[in-house]
Amino acid sequence: MSEKALKWTDRAVVVFAWSSAIILICALFLLIGSLLKNGWQTLGLDLIFGNAPPLDAILLKRRVFGGLFPAIAGTLLLVVLSVSLAVPIGVCAGVYMSEYASAGLRRILGLCFDILAGVPSIVVGLFGFSGAIILHRIFDGFRPCLAVSAASLAILVLPYLVRTTQTSMQGISPGLRITALALGASKMQNIVYVLLPRSMSGILSGIVLAIGRCAEDTAVIMLTGVVATAGVPGSLFGQYEALPFYIYYISSQYTDQAELMTGYGASIILLCVCLALFLIALGVRKGLSHQVFYRI
Amino acid sequence: MKKPILWHGLLAAVLVMACASWGLAGDLDAFKGRKGEIRIAGGTAHIPVMKEAAKRIMTLNPDINISVAGGGSGLGIKQVGEGLVDIGNSGRKPTDDEAGKYGLGMYKWAIDGVGVVVNPKNSVKSLTKAQLKDVYAGKIVNWKELGGEDKGINLYTRDESSGTREVFWKKALGKGEISSKALFVQSNGAMKTAIANDPYSIGYVSVGHMDSSVAGVALDGKAPTLENVKSGEYGVARGLYSNTKGEPTGLTQLFINYLMSDEGQALAAAKGFVPVK
Amino acid sequence: MMINRDKTFKTALFICAAASALATLLIFGFLLVFGLPLFKGGQFFLLLGRPWAPGQGMYGFLPMIAGTAAISLLSLVVAFPISLGVSFFLHSLAPAALGKILKRLVQFMTGVPTVIYGFIGVFLLVPLIREMFENGSGMCVLSASLMLGLLISPTMILFFSDGFAAVDKKYIQAARALGATRVQTLLFVVLPNAWRGLMTGLIMALGRAMGDTLIALMIAGNAVNVPSSLLDPARTLTSHIALVSAADYHSMEFKSIFACGVTLYLLNAAAVIAIRRFGAVGKDKAHV
Repeated sequence: MSEKALKWTDRAVVVFAWSSAIILICALFLLIGSLLKNGWQTLGLDLIFGNAPPLDAILLKRRVFGGLFPAIAGTLLLVVLSVSLAVPIGVCAGVYMSEYASAGLRRILGLCFDILAGVPSIVVGLFGFSGAIILHRIFDGFRPCLAVSAASLAILVLPYLVRTTQTSMQGISPGLRITALALGASKMQNIVYVLLPRSMSGILSGIVLAIGRCAEDTAVIMLTGVVATAGVPGSLFGQYEALPFYIYYISSQYTDQAELMTGYGASIILLCVCLALFLIALGVRKGLSHQVFYRI
Repeated sequence: MKKPILWHGLLAAVLVMACASWGLAGDLDAFKGRKGEIRIAGGTAHIPVMKEAAKRIMTLNPDINISVAGGGSGLGIKQVGEGLVDIGNSGRKPTDDEAGKYGLGMYKWAIDGVGVVVNPKNSVKSLTKAQLKDVYAGKIVNWKELGGEDKGINLYTRDESSGTREVFWKKALGKGEISSKALFVQSNGAMKTAIANDPYSIGYVSVGHMDSSVAGVALDGKAPTLENVKSGEYGVARGLYSNTKGEPTGLTQLFINYLMSDEGQALAAAKGFVPVK
Repeated sequence: MMINRDKTFKTALFICAAASALATLLIFGFLLVFGLPLFKGGQFFLLLGRPWAPGQGMYGFLPMIAGTAAISLLSLVVAFPISLGVSFFLHSLAPAALGKILKRLVQFMTGVPTVIYGFIGVFLLVPLIREMFENGSGMCVLSASLMLGLLISPTMILFFSDGFAAVDKKYIQAARALGATRVQTLLFVVLPNAWRGLMTGLIMALGRAMGDTLIALMIAGNAVNVPSSLLDPARTLTSHIALVSAADYHSMEFKSIFACGVTLYLLNAAAVIAIRRFGAVGKDKAHV
């Protein structure tokens, strides 16, 4: 290549890289900007509690109509349930993968977890729905509900938890690994008292991002029990509302401008929740290894 | 749960307000002291009435949970038949087959029309059935051919589960073809929103849902209005049904009773439907 | 005593790992069992090539396959150049502070809920496309691909960046010492050595695009139609599941969505296996 051609390529690539970066940033800010511009006015206690006094609503003394409270409560419950289901299993599986599994087993299990991570969330939702139908045939009163959604979401985030746990445990230096063992600790003691605490920040950041995943997922819950109007869920076996589903629902069938605005409000709230979780994850682990962000 | 005096006061206040705002007391009384869940799904034309009824009942009695979902008439009938919901709504009468298979209790509480709608900006406000048929079959693709602007026609339709589609297809299209280019929306509410947002659209929606955000199109000279549906002049009409598996019991029965009560019928009328009583 | 407890501990961990892995197989099993009538006698493959017209007893999902292919491939076309540019930028062309901020932004973007992309698509992009082309409703392949492109870019950028970072520093230093500019090093040293990272990123992003439901459901129009232009509406496999799962579940219609589910599952499994084959970034960073 001639000197001149090289020089031009050089410039072209620089321009290309800069403009790509600018396009991406602009797109993101256009997106967030349009949300904020249209929705900031709706932000306030009315948006969440409608006409009910906030305290009464939170204490469940008064039903909220025309506010996001039932959807927020639904999402909150959903996240708590699914994460508390998924974390113990996921972390234990991750520890097993890192500390006990033989190379062959690790390959096979690892393949399973990778495939699970790749299963589209709507397919996980379909799985949950068909599970609910089977249970319905066995137990008459059983129907798609909060518990089914939570279990399905737990499956959805399981592979992330396994992966983050496994990676952060494997990242521990060999020196640290053998110290306690050399002092006579059993393998279990070494794991529980040394390795797990050392990898806690990695595991925590995985958990935080799993929370975000549970809070934002729409496809799983729309097949497993979320509805547009249900009020604050009364039991695990009841139907419920959720923020992301509310946004989806409003986008296609708002009846007036005020209702559309609550959709903007809900989007801003959900986006802020995700931003907050992201910042927490960053805070928990500076220089966060970014495989936690990989997702299919 | 211990209920402080304040709460009772609040309840009383709500009751007083409830009585004041819809004049009659009594029809909701049956729900007092009851507890439990009612799941409603299916027909989407029903949703505004269902939501309002649920709101009234849940406001009166916090121990009752009522969930309202859409999905279309077909879904409503199947799900109630399978016991997945307590009330399955349908915007058409369940077929003899469906009614027999599941032993459905069918309760028609209102009459509704299915109107052809376009965006209010559109100058085309009247079509013949033959024109409509060609539009939906994809043979007429430009508004110009119907006397409108020189713009392509954006067709909107519903999926097979929809009772509104079924009625529209039978009575307005004469079982004519629906072009595969048609865009799908999932409910009457979504249809109205889609038509209101797209200036070159055409769709069909429950007459009860029509408001100033969309413009009704007269079919063979008959406008899709509540009056014309009531008088029988506008023929693309159907009953709105709430179906239960067998005879309804418990809360479900109370809910059906409420729909049939004076208050329930007034609610149906207020939401733009023709009450049956 | 101690040995015993250790053993119980190990068994408990193993049960967790096995149960999690079992979920993977269980999902596939459920899909197969529920869609069984369609898989008997090879009907599944017939369905792949047929149109969808339940009114006439046809439950093929050719339009959905076409919709998924069109929208996800087009979103790759949208996202690939931008992602490549941004990862060039992050690797060696960005001023340090800006690079750091941009990287955080990209990481944040992976967590932006897809329903929000869809929501903004409905109210910002769709009207824009409608006005701009004055043809169609704006709910089309193009709108969905643009939004989806934005959704998958961060995934691609992170993988590309990892691929670049995995290139041996010695090569880069050598090239620089020989007088190559930063761009030249990037183009002729880093890029050729990072092809595994590029492939992994592409496949991952394709998987994410195929698997996403909400964007296509909200802004692609959902017409059951093999799209013939960018402005045609289309329905993806995922939105088809979302739309039809609301139907009666004894019907063929309902069974056919399990066939869609199987198709999606297998496509994604194939992507995962391909990535593991490529190894590279996949092996030590993303998957182990």
